[in-house]
Amino acid sequence: MDVNQEKLKTELLTVNMGPQHPATHGVLRVEIKTDSEIVAEAIPHIGYLHRCKEKHSESLDYRGVIPYVDRMDYLAAMNMELGYCLTIEKMLGTEVPKRATYIRMVCAELQRIASHLMFFGTYAIDLGAFSPFLYAFQKREEILRLFEEFSGARLLYNYIWIGGVWNDITDKHIERILKFCDELSEELKKYDTLVSQNRIFIERTANVGLISQTLCYEYGLTGPLLRGSGIKWDLRKNRPYCFYDKMEFEIPVGLGEKGTLGDCYDRYSVRMREMIESIKIIRQCLQGIEAGPVMGKVAKVLKVPAGEIYFRTECPRGELGYHLISDGSKKPYRLKVKSSCFTHVSVLPELAPGQMIADLVATIGSIDIVLGEVDR
Amino acid sequence: MHKEISDFLNRSVSGADAQVISATVGDSAIYVNAKQILKVCEALKNSPEYQMNVLQVITAADYLAAAATETTPAVEERIELTYVIASFIKNSELLIKVKLPRGDKNNLPQIDSICSIWKSANWQEREAFDMMGVKFNGHPDHRRILCPDDWVGHPLRKDYVAMESYNGMTIYPEDKLNFKEREFGVRQKTDVKGAVTSISNYELGAKNIN
Repeated sequence: MDVNQEKLKTELLTVNMGPQHPATHGVLRVEIKTDSEIVAEAIPHIGYLHRCKEKHSESLDYRGVIPYVDRMDYLAAMNMELGYCLTIEKMLGTEVPKRATYIRMVCAELQRIASHLMFFGTYAIDLGAFSPFLYAFQKREEILRLFEEFSGARLLYNYIWIGGVWNDITDKHIERILKFCDELSEELKKYDTLVSQNRIFIERTANVGLISQTLCYEYGLTGPLLRGSGIKWDLRKNRPYCFYDKMEFEIPVGLGEKGTLGDCYDRYSVRMREMIESIKIIRQCLQGIEAGPVMGKVAKVLKVPAGEIYFRTECPRGELGYHLISDGSKKPYRLKVKSSCFTHVSVLPELAPGQMIADLVATIGSIDIVLGEVDR
Repeated sequence: MHKEISDFLNRSVSGADAQVISATVGDSAIYVNAKQILKVCEALKNSPEYQMNVLQVITAADYLAAAATETTPAVEERIELTYVIASFIKNSELLIKVKLPRGDKNNLPQIDSICSIWKSANWQEREAFDMMGVKFNGHPDHRRILCPDDWVGHPLRKDYVAMESYNGMTIYPEDKLNFKEREFGVRQKTDVKGAVTSISNYELGAKNIN
Protein backbone atom coordinates (compact mmCIF):
# COMPACT_ATOMS: atom_id res chain seq x y z
CA MET A 1 0.00 0.00 0.00
CA ASP A 2 2.72 2.44 1.02
CA VAL A 3 4.77 1.61 -2.03
CA ASN A 4 1.86 2.35 -4.33
CA GLN A 5 1.28 5.72 -2.79
CA GLU A 6 4.86 6.70 -3.31
CA LYS A 7 4.66 5.87 -7.00
CA LEU A 8 1.34 7.56 -7.39
CA LYS A 9 1.68 11.06 -8.71
CA THR A 10 -0.82 13.36 -7.02
CA GLU A 11 -1.56 16.92 -7.94
CA LEU A 12 -4.45 19.30 -7.68
CA LEU A 13 -6.89 19.25 -10.55
CA THR A 14 -8.00 22.60 -11.93
CA VAL A 15 -11.66 22.79 -12.91
CA ASN A 16 -13.41 25.78 -14.39
CA MET A 17 -16.87 26.29 -12.98
CA GLY A 18 -18.57 28.64 -15.39
CA PRO A 19 -18.80 31.16 -17.00
CA GLN A 20 -21.73 29.17 -18.38
CA HIS A 21 -22.88 27.15 -15.42
CA PRO A 22 -26.42 27.10 -14.05
CA ALA A 23 -25.28 27.22 -10.43
CA THR A 24 -23.36 30.46 -10.82
CA HIS A 25 -26.55 32.42 -11.62
CA GLY A 26 -25.02 34.32 -14.49
CA VAL A 27 -21.57 34.58 -15.95
CA LEU A 28 -19.29 34.04 -12.99
CA ARG A 29 -16.24 31.89 -13.52
CA VAL A 30 -14.78 30.17 -10.50
CA GLU A 31 -11.44 28.51 -11.03
CA ILE A 32 -11.42 25.60 -8.60
CA LYS A 33 -8.38 23.58 -7.63
CA THR A 34 -9.66 20.26 -6.37
CA ASP A 35 -8.26 17.31 -4.54
CA SER A 36 -10.74 14.70 -5.79
CA GLU A 37 -14.10 16.02 -4.55
CA ILE A 38 -12.68 18.49 -2.06
CA VAL A 39 -11.99 22.08 -3.05
CA ALA A 40 -8.52 23.29 -2.13
CA GLU A 41 -8.76 26.75 -3.63
CA ALA A 42 -11.36 28.79 -5.47
CA ILE A 43 -10.54 31.92 -7.46
CA PRO A 44 -13.50 33.91 -8.80
CA HIS A 45 -13.03 35.65 -12.13
CA ILE A 46 -15.53 38.39 -12.88
CA GLY A 47 -16.01 40.97 -15.61
CA TYR A 48 -17.93 38.96 -18.19
CA LEU A 49 -20.92 41.27 -17.85
CA HIS A 50 -19.02 44.54 -17.51
CA ARG A 51 -21.01 47.21 -19.33
CA CYS A 52 -19.08 50.34 -18.25
CA LYS A 53 -22.02 51.73 -16.29
CA GLU A 54 -19.87 54.18 -14.41
CA LYS A 55 -18.31 55.51 -17.60
CA HIS A 56 -21.71 55.77 -19.28
CA SER A 57 -23.21 57.80 -16.47
CA GLU A 58 -20.50 60.42 -16.90
CA SER A 59 -21.95 61.31 -20.30
CA LEU A 60 -25.64 61.21 -19.40
CA ASP A 61 -27.78 63.75 -17.62
CA TYR A 62 -29.01 62.94 -14.14
CA ARG A 63 -32.39 61.63 -15.31
CA GLY A 64 -30.82 59.60 -18.09
CA VAL A 65 -28.83 57.50 -15.63
CA ILE A 66 -31.95 55.85 -14.13
CA PRO A 67 -32.49 53.25 -16.89
CA TYR A 68 -28.83 52.26 -16.65
CA VAL A 69 -29.13 51.88 -12.90
CA ASP A 70 -31.99 49.41 -13.51
CA ARG A 71 -29.68 47.16 -15.44
CA MET A 72 -27.25 46.64 -12.60
CA ASP A 73 -29.33 44.37 -10.40
CA TYR A 74 -32.00 43.38 -12.87
CA LEU A 75 -33.83 41.30 -10.28
CA ALA A 76 -34.27 44.26 -7.94
CA ALA A 77 -34.46 47.21 -10.30
CA MET A 78 -36.87 49.20 -8.12
CA ASN A 79 -34.43 49.21 -5.23
CA MET A 80 -31.61 50.35 -7.48
CA GLU A 81 -33.73 53.25 -8.75
CA LEU A 82 -34.85 54.18 -5.27
CA GLY A 83 -31.28 54.42 -4.00
CA TYR A 84 -30.17 56.55 -6.93
CA CYS A 85 -33.14 58.93 -6.74
CA LEU A 86 -32.76 59.37 -2.98
CA THR A 87 -29.09 60.25 -3.50
CA ILE A 88 -29.84 62.94 -6.05
CA GLU A 89 -32.80 64.26 -4.07
CA LYS A 90 -30.67 64.59 -0.98
CA MET A 91 -28.19 66.70 -2.93
CA LEU A 92 -30.93 68.82 -4.47
CA GLY A 93 -32.99 69.09 -1.30
CA THR A 94 -36.12 68.08 -3.19
CA GLU A 95 -39.24 67.38 -1.21
CA VAL A 96 -40.99 64.22 -2.32
CA PRO A 97 -44.79 64.12 -1.93
CA LYS A 98 -46.12 61.75 0.73
CA ARG A 99 -48.05 59.59 -1.68
CA ALA A 100 -45.01 59.14 -3.90
CA THR A 101 -42.90 58.04 -0.95
CA TYR A 102 -45.49 55.46 0.06
CA ILE A 103 -45.71 54.15 -3.50
CA ARG A 104 -41.93 53.95 -3.61
CA MET A 105 -41.83 51.95 -0.40
CA VAL A 106 -44.55 49.58 -1.59
CA CYS A 107 -42.64 49.03 -4.83
CA ALA A 108 -39.34 48.52 -3.03
CA GLU A 109 -40.84 45.95 -0.66
CA LEU A 110 -42.72 44.13 -3.42
CA GLN A 111 -39.45 43.99 -5.33
CA ARG A 112 -37.70 42.62 -2.28
CA ILE A 113 -40.29 39.85 -2.09
CA ALA A 114 -39.91 39.14 -5.81
CA SER A 115 -36.15 38.97 -5.46
CA HIS A 116 -36.29 36.68 -2.44
CA LEU A 117 -38.82 34.44 -4.22
CA MET A 118 -36.35 34.20 -7.09
CA PHE A 119 -33.66 33.23 -4.60
CA PHE A 120 -35.96 30.64 -3.03
CA GLY A 121 -36.73 29.04 -6.37
CA THR A 122 -33.22 28.99 -7.80
CA TYR A 123 -31.63 27.92 -4.55
CA ALA A 124 -33.90 24.90 -4.42
CA ILE A 125 -32.92 24.11 -8.02
CA ASP A 126 -29.24 24.37 -7.10
CA LEU A 127 -29.84 21.74 -4.43
CA GLY A 128 -31.80 19.46 -6.72
CA ALA A 129 -35.45 20.28 -6.00
CA PHE A 130 -37.39 21.49 -8.99
CA SER A 131 -40.96 22.12 -7.82
CA PRO A 132 -40.29 25.05 -5.40
CA PHE A 133 -39.08 26.98 -8.44
CA LEU A 134 -42.53 26.67 -10.04
CA TYR A 135 -44.33 27.78 -6.88
CA ALA A 136 -42.01 30.76 -6.46
CA PHE A 137 -42.37 31.90 -10.06
CA GLN A 138 -46.14 31.70 -9.85
CA LYS A 139 -46.13 34.27 -7.06
CA ARG A 140 -43.35 36.35 -8.56
CA GLU A 141 -45.35 36.61 -11.75
CA GLU A 142 -48.14 38.41 -9.87
CA ILE A 143 -45.69 41.06 -8.66
CA LEU A 144 -44.28 41.49 -12.15
CA ARG A 145 -47.80 41.93 -13.53
CA LEU A 146 -48.47 44.65 -10.97
CA PHE A 147 -45.24 46.41 -11.90
CA GLU A 148 -46.12 46.08 -15.56
CA GLU A 149 -49.34 47.97 -14.90
CA PHE A 150 -47.54 50.64 -12.86
CA SER A 151 -44.68 51.26 -15.24
CA GLY A 152 -45.22 49.44 -18.53
CA ALA A 153 -42.26 47.13 -18.09
CA ARG A 154 -41.83 43.81 -16.39
CA LEU A 155 -38.20 43.84 -15.37
CA LEU A 156 -36.50 47.19 -15.99
CA TYR A 157 -38.98 49.81 -14.91
CA ASN A 158 -37.63 53.37 -14.99
CA TYR A 159 -40.59 54.01 -12.67
CA ILE A 160 -39.09 55.88 -9.73
CA TRP A 161 -38.00 59.29 -10.93
CA ILE A 162 -36.14 62.12 -9.31
CA GLY A 163 -38.82 63.93 -7.33
CA GLY A 164 -41.40 61.17 -7.13
CA VAL A 165 -42.71 58.36 -9.26
CA TRP A 166 -43.65 58.38 -12.91
CA ASN A 167 -47.30 57.42 -12.59
CA ASP A 168 -49.94 57.11 -9.92
CA ILE A 169 -51.42 53.81 -8.82
CA THR A 170 -55.17 53.27 -8.51
CA ASP A 171 -57.37 51.94 -5.69
CA LYS A 172 -57.82 48.74 -7.66
CA HIS A 173 -54.09 48.18 -7.55
CA ILE A 174 -54.10 48.69 -3.81
CA GLU A 175 -56.83 46.07 -3.44
CA ARG A 176 -54.82 43.67 -5.57
CA ILE A 177 -51.66 44.23 -3.57
CA LEU A 178 -53.52 43.57 -0.32
CA LYS A 179 -55.03 40.40 -1.76
CA PHE A 180 -51.59 39.33 -2.92
CA CYS A 181 -50.19 39.91 0.59
CA ASP A 182 -52.88 37.67 2.10
CA GLU A 183 -52.23 34.96 -0.43
CA LEU A 184 -48.48 35.13 -0.02
CA SER A 185 -48.72 34.80 3.77
CA GLU A 186 -50.57 31.52 3.24
CA GLU A 187 -48.16 30.46 0.51
CA LEU A 188 -45.12 31.07 2.71
CA LYS A 189 -46.43 28.47 5.17
CA LYS A 190 -46.58 26.02 2.29
CA TYR A 191 -42.97 26.81 1.34
CA ASP A 192 -42.00 26.21 4.92
CA THR A 193 -43.30 22.64 4.93
CA LEU A 194 -42.11 22.05 1.38
CA VAL A 195 -38.52 23.19 1.76
CA SER A 196 -37.55 24.65 5.13
CA GLN A 197 -38.48 21.52 7.06
CA ASN A 198 -37.31 19.17 4.34
CA ARG A 199 -34.78 16.65 5.63
CA ILE A 200 -32.66 16.65 2.46
CA PHE A 201 -32.62 20.44 2.28
CA ILE A 202 -31.52 20.75 5.90
CA GLU A 203 -28.77 18.18 5.41
CA ARG A 204 -27.48 20.04 2.38
CA THR A 205 -27.45 23.52 3.96
CA ALA A 206 -26.93 23.22 7.72
CA ASN A 207 -23.30 23.59 8.85
CA VAL A 208 -22.24 24.46 5.28
CA GLY A 209 -20.44 27.66 4.28
CA LEU A 210 -20.00 29.17 7.72
CA ILE A 211 -19.41 32.93 7.86
CA SER A 212 -18.23 34.19 11.22
CA GLN A 213 -19.02 37.67 12.52
CA THR A 214 -15.40 38.83 12.28
CA LEU A 215 -15.29 37.67 8.66
CA CYS A 216 -18.42 39.72 7.99
CA TYR A 217 -16.77 42.91 9.19
CA GLU A 218 -13.41 42.12 7.56
CA TYR A 219 -15.02 41.74 4.17
CA GLY A 220 -17.71 44.37 4.66
CA LEU A 221 -20.55 41.93 4.07
CA THR A 222 -24.05 43.33 4.37
CA GLY A 223 -27.67 42.34 4.01
CA PRO A 224 -28.85 38.77 4.62
CA LEU A 225 -25.25 37.56 4.94
CA LEU A 226 -24.61 39.86 7.86
CA ARG A 227 -27.95 39.11 9.47
CA GLY A 228 -27.50 35.39 8.83
CA SER A 229 -24.42 35.56 11.01
CA GLY A 230 -26.48 36.93 13.85
CA ILE A 231 -25.73 40.64 13.58
CA LYS A 232 -28.82 42.78 13.91
CA TRP A 233 -28.15 45.40 11.25
CA ASP A 234 -30.63 46.74 8.76
CA LEU A 235 -30.34 50.19 7.24
CA ARG A 236 -34.12 50.52 7.20
CA LYS A 237 -33.98 50.48 11.00
CA ASN A 238 -30.50 51.79 11.77
CA ARG A 239 -30.36 54.68 9.29
CA PRO A 240 -33.97 55.11 8.19
CA TYR A 241 -34.83 56.69 4.87
CA CYS A 242 -38.30 57.25 3.33
CA PHE A 243 -40.85 56.50 6.07
CA TYR A 244 -39.21 53.35 7.39
CA ASP A 245 -38.83 54.97 10.80
CA LYS A 246 -42.63 55.03 11.15
CA MET A 247 -43.04 51.37 10.26
CA GLU A 248 -43.21 48.53 12.73
CA PHE A 249 -41.20 45.51 11.69
CA GLU A 250 -38.58 43.16 13.02
CA ILE A 251 -35.06 42.51 11.75
CA PRO A 252 -34.81 38.75 11.28
CA VAL A 253 -31.40 37.37 12.25
CA GLY A 254 -29.84 33.94 11.94
CA LEU A 255 -30.44 31.72 14.94
CA GLY A 256 -28.42 28.67 14.01
CA GLU A 257 -31.61 26.67 14.41
CA LYS A 258 -30.60 23.64 12.33
CA GLY A 259 -26.82 23.88 12.50
CA THR A 260 -24.20 26.46 13.43
CA LEU A 261 -24.78 30.21 13.39
CA GLY A 262 -23.91 31.72 10.02
CA ASP A 263 -24.42 28.68 7.81
CA CYS A 264 -26.32 28.48 4.54
CA TYR A 265 -29.54 27.51 6.28
CA ASP A 266 -29.44 30.68 8.38
CA ARG A 267 -29.05 32.89 5.33
CA TYR A 268 -31.93 31.06 3.67
CA SER A 269 -34.14 31.38 6.73
CA VAL A 270 -33.35 35.08 7.15
CA ARG A 271 -34.58 35.74 3.60
CA MET A 272 -37.75 33.73 4.12
CA ARG A 273 -38.56 35.63 7.32
CA GLU A 274 -37.73 38.94 5.64
CA MET A 275 -40.59 38.35 3.23
CA ILE A 276 -43.02 38.20 6.15
CA GLU A 277 -41.64 41.53 7.42
CA SER A 278 -41.97 43.04 3.95
CA ILE A 279 -45.63 42.06 3.88
CA LYS A 280 -46.07 43.86 7.20
CA ILE A 281 -44.45 47.01 5.80
CA ILE A 282 -46.60 46.93 2.66
CA ARG A 283 -49.79 46.64 4.71
CA GLN A 284 -48.78 49.61 6.87
CA CYS A 285 -47.87 51.67 3.80
CA LEU A 286 -51.21 50.99 2.17
CA GLN A 287 -52.97 52.00 5.36
CA GLY A 288 -51.13 55.29 5.54
CA ILE A 289 -51.36 56.15 1.85
CA GLU A 290 -53.39 59.26 1.06
CA ALA A 291 -54.49 61.08 -2.06
CA GLY A 292 -52.15 63.68 -3.48
CA PRO A 293 -49.62 64.39 -6.18
CA VAL A 294 -46.94 61.83 -7.02
CA MET A 295 -44.31 64.18 -8.41
CA GLY A 296 -42.50 66.93 -6.53
CA LYS A 297 -41.21 70.17 -7.97
CA VAL A 298 -38.00 69.53 -9.85
CA ALA A 299 -36.24 71.85 -12.29
CA LYS A 300 -36.55 70.92 -15.96
CA VAL A 301 -32.82 70.93 -16.45
CA LEU A 302 -31.32 69.30 -13.41
CA LYS A 303 -28.12 70.79 -12.09
CA VAL A 304 -26.85 69.21 -8.91
CA PRO A 305 -24.78 71.59 -6.77
CA ALA A 306 -21.05 70.89 -6.61
CA GLY A 307 -20.04 68.56 -3.83
CA GLU A 308 -20.13 64.92 -3.01
CA ILE A 309 -22.34 62.50 -1.19
CA TYR A 310 -22.30 58.87 -0.14
CA PHE A 311 -25.75 57.46 0.40
CA ARG A 312 -26.69 53.88 1.09
CA THR A 313 -29.94 51.97 1.08
CA GLU A 314 -30.92 48.43 1.96
CA CYS A 315 -31.47 46.29 -1.11
CA PRO A 316 -32.54 42.64 -1.18
CA ARG A 317 -28.94 41.54 -1.56
CA GLY A 318 -27.33 43.95 0.83
CA GLU A 319 -26.34 47.57 1.10
CA LEU A 320 -26.20 49.61 -2.06
CA GLY A 321 -24.20 52.81 -1.85
CA TYR A 322 -23.94 55.58 -4.40
CA HIS A 323 -20.93 57.85 -4.20
CA LEU A 324 -21.73 60.86 -6.30
CA ILE A 325 -19.17 63.55 -7.07
CA SER A 326 -20.75 66.54 -8.76
CA ASP A 327 -19.08 69.54 -10.30
CA GLY A 328 -22.27 71.54 -10.63
CA SER A 329 -23.03 70.62 -14.23
CA LYS A 330 -25.85 68.66 -15.85
CA LYS A 331 -23.99 65.36 -15.72
CA PRO A 332 -22.48 63.45 -12.80
CA TYR A 333 -18.72 63.99 -12.63
CA ARG A 334 -18.23 60.57 -11.08
CA LEU A 335 -20.83 58.08 -9.95
CA LYS A 336 -19.33 55.17 -8.12
CA VAL A 337 -21.59 52.31 -7.11
CA LYS A 338 -20.85 50.30 -4.03
CA SER A 339 -22.52 47.08 -4.96
CA SER A 340 -23.08 44.51 -2.27
CA CYS A 341 -22.68 41.57 -4.66
CA PHE A 342 -19.17 42.70 -5.62
CA THR A 343 -18.09 42.52 -1.99
CA HIS A 344 -19.95 39.27 -1.44
CA VAL A 345 -18.17 37.46 -4.29
CA SER A 346 -14.82 38.50 -2.85
CA VAL A 347 -15.47 36.37 0.24
CA LEU A 348 -15.73 33.14 -1.81
CA PRO A 349 -11.98 32.27 -1.68
CA GLU A 350 -12.29 32.39 2.09
CA LEU A 351 -15.29 30.04 2.25
CA ALA A 352 -14.39 27.48 -0.39
CA PRO A 353 -11.29 25.62 0.92
CA GLY A 354 -12.18 22.28 2.46
CA GLN A 355 -15.68 22.10 1.00
CA MET A 356 -17.07 19.49 -1.35
CA ILE A 357 -17.80 20.81 -4.84
CA ALA A 358 -21.53 20.27 -4.30
CA ASP A 359 -21.34 22.29 -1.08
CA LEU A 360 -19.61 25.10 -2.94
CA VAL A 361 -22.67 25.26 -5.18
CA ALA A 362 -24.84 25.54 -2.07
CA THR A 363 -22.58 28.30 -0.73
CA ILE A 364 -22.61 30.36 -3.93
CA GLY A 365 -26.38 29.98 -4.08
CA SER A 366 -26.84 31.13 -0.50
CA ILE A 367 -24.78 34.28 -1.14
CA ASP A 368 -27.36 35.08 -3.85
CA ILE A 369 -25.40 37.13 -6.35
CA VAL A 370 -26.56 38.87 -9.48
CA LEU A 371 -23.72 39.25 -11.91
CA GLY A 372 -25.15 42.43 -13.36
CA GLU A 373 -24.45 44.13 -10.07
CA VAL A 374 -21.05 42.52 -9.60
CA ASP A 375 -19.69 43.71 -12.94
CA ARG A 376 -21.86 46.81 -13.48
CA MET B 1 -17.80 65.13 14.34
CA HIS B 2 -15.32 65.64 11.50
CA LYS B 3 -13.37 68.21 13.51
CA GLU B 4 -12.92 65.78 16.40
CA ILE B 5 -11.77 63.00 14.10
CA SER B 6 -9.26 65.20 12.32
CA ASP B 7 -7.89 66.34 15.68
CA PHE B 8 -7.68 62.73 16.76
CA LEU B 9 -5.80 61.81 13.57
CA ASN B 10 -3.36 64.69 13.88
CA ARG B 11 -2.74 63.67 17.48
CA SER B 12 -2.23 59.95 16.95
CA VAL B 13 -0.56 59.79 13.52
CA SER B 14 2.44 62.00 12.94
CA GLY B 15 2.39 63.63 9.53
CA ALA B 16 -1.26 62.80 8.87
CA ASP B 17 -2.02 66.43 7.94
CA ALA B 18 -5.72 65.82 8.48
CA GLN B 19 -7.83 68.65 7.13
CA VAL B 20 -11.59 68.92 7.21
CA ILE B 21 -13.40 70.09 4.11
CA SER B 22 -16.86 70.86 5.41
CA ALA B 23 -19.54 70.93 2.79
CA THR B 24 -22.83 72.80 2.83
CA VAL B 25 -24.39 70.31 0.42
CA GLY B 26 -23.78 66.61 0.81
CA ASP B 27 -21.09 65.00 2.92
CA SER B 28 -18.01 66.52 4.48
CA ALA B 29 -14.68 64.78 4.08
CA ILE B 30 -11.25 64.67 5.67
CA TYR B 31 -8.14 65.03 3.54
CA VAL B 32 -5.08 63.20 4.79
CA ASN B 33 -1.52 62.79 3.60
CA ALA B 34 -1.35 59.94 1.07
CA LYS B 35 1.85 58.59 2.62
CA GLN B 36 0.17 58.01 5.97
CA ILE B 37 -3.02 56.31 4.74
CA LEU B 38 -2.11 52.94 6.25
CA LYS B 39 -1.55 54.42 9.70
CA VAL B 40 -4.64 56.63 9.48
CA CYS B 41 -6.85 53.64 8.67
CA GLU B 42 -5.25 51.57 11.39
CA ALA B 43 -5.81 54.31 13.96
CA LEU B 44 -9.46 54.71 13.00
CA LYS B 45 -10.10 50.98 13.10
CA ASN B 46 -8.44 50.41 16.45
CA SER B 47 -9.60 53.52 18.28
CA PRO B 48 -12.16 52.59 20.94
CA GLU B 49 -13.93 55.88 20.31
CA TYR B 50 -14.69 55.53 16.60
CA GLN B 51 -14.41 51.76 15.91
CA MET B 52 -14.55 52.08 12.13
CA ASN B 53 -14.80 48.38 11.49
CA VAL B 54 -15.94 48.22 7.86
CA LEU B 55 -14.41 49.54 4.68
CA GLN B 56 -17.33 50.24 2.39
CA VAL B 57 -15.77 51.35 -0.85
CA ILE B 58 -12.74 52.99 -2.44
CA THR B 59 -13.66 55.54 -5.09
CA ALA B 60 -11.11 56.98 -7.44
CA ALA B 61 -11.86 60.17 -9.35
CA ASP B 62 -9.75 61.74 -12.04
CA TYR B 63 -9.33 65.50 -12.40
CA LEU B 64 -7.73 67.13 -15.41
CA ALA B 65 -6.14 70.52 -15.01
CA ALA B 66 -8.49 73.38 -15.83
CA ALA B 67 -8.13 77.12 -15.56
CA ALA B 68 -10.60 79.11 -13.50
CA THR B 69 -13.64 80.48 -15.31
CA GLU B 70 -16.29 82.93 -14.19
CA THR B 71 -18.42 80.26 -12.57
CA THR B 72 -15.99 77.52 -11.61
CA PRO B 73 -12.73 77.65 -9.67
CA ALA B 74 -9.47 76.32 -11.10
CA VAL B 75 -8.98 72.58 -10.97
CA GLU B 76 -5.70 71.08 -9.93
CA GLU B 77 -4.48 68.06 -11.90
CA ARG B 78 -4.80 65.03 -9.63
CA ILE B 79 -6.35 61.69 -8.83
CA GLU B 80 -8.43 61.58 -5.69
CA LEU B 81 -9.04 58.41 -3.76
CA THR B 82 -11.95 58.39 -1.35
CA TYR B 83 -12.03 55.73 1.31
CA VAL B 84 -15.57 55.39 2.62
CA ILE B 85 -15.31 53.70 5.98
CA ALA B 86 -18.13 52.99 8.37
CA SER B 87 -18.72 51.79 11.86
CA PHE B 88 -21.46 49.22 12.29
CA ILE B 89 -21.03 49.49 16.05
CA LYS B 90 -21.30 53.27 16.39
CA ASN B 91 -23.51 53.64 13.31
CA SER B 92 -21.41 56.28 11.59
CA GLU B 93 -19.57 56.73 8.34
CA LEU B 94 -16.62 58.79 7.21
CA LEU B 95 -15.05 59.89 3.95
CA ILE B 96 -11.25 59.94 3.98
CA LYS B 97 -9.66 61.47 0.92
CA VAL B 98 -6.13 61.51 -0.45
CA LYS B 99 -4.65 63.33 -3.41
CA LEU B 100 -2.24 61.65 -5.78
CA PRO B 101 -0.39 62.96 -8.84
CA ARG B 102 -1.88 61.72 -12.11
CA GLY B 103 1.38 60.26 -13.38
CA ASP B 104 1.64 58.78 -16.87
CA LYS B 105 1.61 55.40 -18.60
CA ASN B 106 4.98 54.24 -17.32
CA ASN B 107 4.78 56.00 -14.00
CA LEU B 108 1.46 55.25 -12.34
CA PRO B 109 0.54 56.98 -9.08
CA GLN B 110 1.38 54.87 -6.06
CA ILE B 111 -0.07 54.45 -2.60
CA ASP B 112 0.16 51.89 0.18
CA SER B 113 -2.35 49.07 0.09
CA ILE B 114 -4.64 48.73 3.11
CA CYS B 115 -5.40 45.05 2.53
CA SER B 116 -3.71 44.22 5.80
CA ILE B 117 -6.34 46.23 7.68
CA TRP B 118 -9.54 45.33 5.84
CA LYS B 119 -9.69 42.33 3.54
CA SER B 120 -12.47 43.97 1.55
CA ALA B 121 -9.83 46.42 0.30
CA ASN B 122 -8.40 43.65 -1.87
CA TRP B 123 -11.04 43.80 -4.61
CA GLN B 124 -11.74 47.50 -4.18
CA GLU B 125 -8.09 48.31 -4.82
CA ARG B 126 -7.97 45.97 -7.77
CA GLU B 127 -10.91 47.84 -9.24
CA ALA B 128 -9.27 51.20 -8.63
CA PHE B 129 -6.13 49.93 -10.37
CA ASP B 130 -8.10 48.54 -13.30
CA MET B 131 -10.30 51.58 -13.84
CA MET B 132 -8.04 54.46 -12.78
CA GLY B 133 -4.51 53.14 -12.87
CA VAL B 134 -3.51 53.61 -9.27
CA LYS B 135 -0.79 51.27 -8.07
CA PHE B 136 -1.18 49.84 -4.58
CA ASN B 137 2.12 48.89 -2.94
CA GLY B 138 1.99 45.66 -0.96
CA HIS B 139 -1.21 44.37 -2.52
CA PRO B 140 -1.27 40.54 -2.38
CA ASP B 141 -2.91 40.01 -5.78
CA HIS B 142 -2.34 43.07 -7.94
CA ARG B 143 -4.24 42.28 -11.16
CA ARG B 144 -6.97 43.80 -13.25
CA ILE B 145 -10.43 42.72 -12.20
CA LEU B 146 -13.16 43.82 -14.61
CA CYS B 147 -11.19 44.29 -17.82
CA PRO B 148 -9.15 41.44 -19.36
CA ASP B 149 -5.55 41.15 -18.20
CA ASP B 150 -4.14 42.28 -21.56
CA TRP B 151 -6.26 45.41 -21.83
CA VAL B 152 -4.39 48.66 -22.42
CA GLY B 153 -5.27 51.84 -20.58
CA HIS B 154 -7.48 52.68 -17.63
CA PRO B 155 -11.03 53.34 -18.83
CA LEU B 156 -12.38 55.71 -16.19
CA ARG B 157 -9.64 58.28 -16.68
CA LYS B 158 -11.03 61.39 -18.25
CA ASP B 159 -8.50 61.41 -21.10
CA TYR B 160 -8.88 57.71 -21.88
CA VAL B 161 -8.88 56.66 -25.50
CA ALA B 162 -9.76 53.03 -26.19
CA MET B 163 -7.33 51.02 -28.27
CA GLU B 164 -8.20 50.48 -31.91
CA SER B 165 -8.56 46.73 -31.81
CA TYR B 166 -8.47 44.01 -29.23
CA ASN B 167 -7.55 40.44 -30.23
CA GLY B 168 -8.40 41.20 -33.85
CA MET B 169 -11.77 42.77 -33.05
CA THR B 170 -12.32 46.40 -33.98
CA ILE B 171 -13.47 48.32 -30.92
CA TYR B 172 -15.36 51.12 -32.68
CA PRO B 173 -16.61 49.65 -35.99
CA GLU B 174 -17.38 52.51 -38.36
CA ASP B 175 -20.80 51.25 -39.38
CA LYS B 176 -21.96 51.29 -35.78
CA LEU B 177 -20.77 54.77 -34.90
CA ASN B 178 -22.99 57.80 -34.87
CA PHE B 179 -20.85 60.59 -36.23
CA LYS B 180 -23.46 63.29 -35.99
CA GLU B 181 -22.63 64.65 -32.58
CA ARG B 182 -25.69 66.28 -31.14
CA GLU B 183 -25.79 68.96 -28.54
CA PHE B 184 -27.01 68.02 -25.08
CA GLY B 185 -30.79 68.24 -24.64
CA VAL B 186 -31.59 68.68 -28.30
CA ARG B 187 -34.54 66.78 -29.71
CA GLN B 188 -34.78 66.01 -33.41
CA LYS B 189 -37.94 65.39 -35.34
CA THR B 190 -37.69 63.11 -38.33
CA ASP B 191 -40.07 62.40 -41.19
CA VAL B 192 -41.10 58.90 -42.28
CA LYS B 193 -37.89 58.31 -44.21
CA GLY B 194 -35.72 59.36 -41.30
CA ALA B 195 -34.58 62.77 -42.53
CA VAL B 196 -34.37 65.46 -39.88
CA THR B 197 -37.17 68.00 -40.26
CA SER B 198 -36.73 70.15 -37.18
CA ILE B 199 -34.50 70.48 -34.15
CA SER B 200 -35.82 71.84 -30.90
CA ASN B 201 -34.09 72.58 -27.66
CA TYR B 202 -35.47 71.80 -24.23
CA GLU B 203 -33.75 74.69 -22.59
CA LEU B 204 -35.16 77.26 -24.96
CA GLY B 205 -38.66 76.15 -24.09
CA ALA B 206 -38.99 73.88 -27.13
CA LYS B 207 -38.42 76.84 -29.42
CA ASN B 208 -37.75 75.88 -33.00
CA ILE B 209 -34.24 76.87 -33.91
CA ASN B 210 -34.27 75.32 -37.33
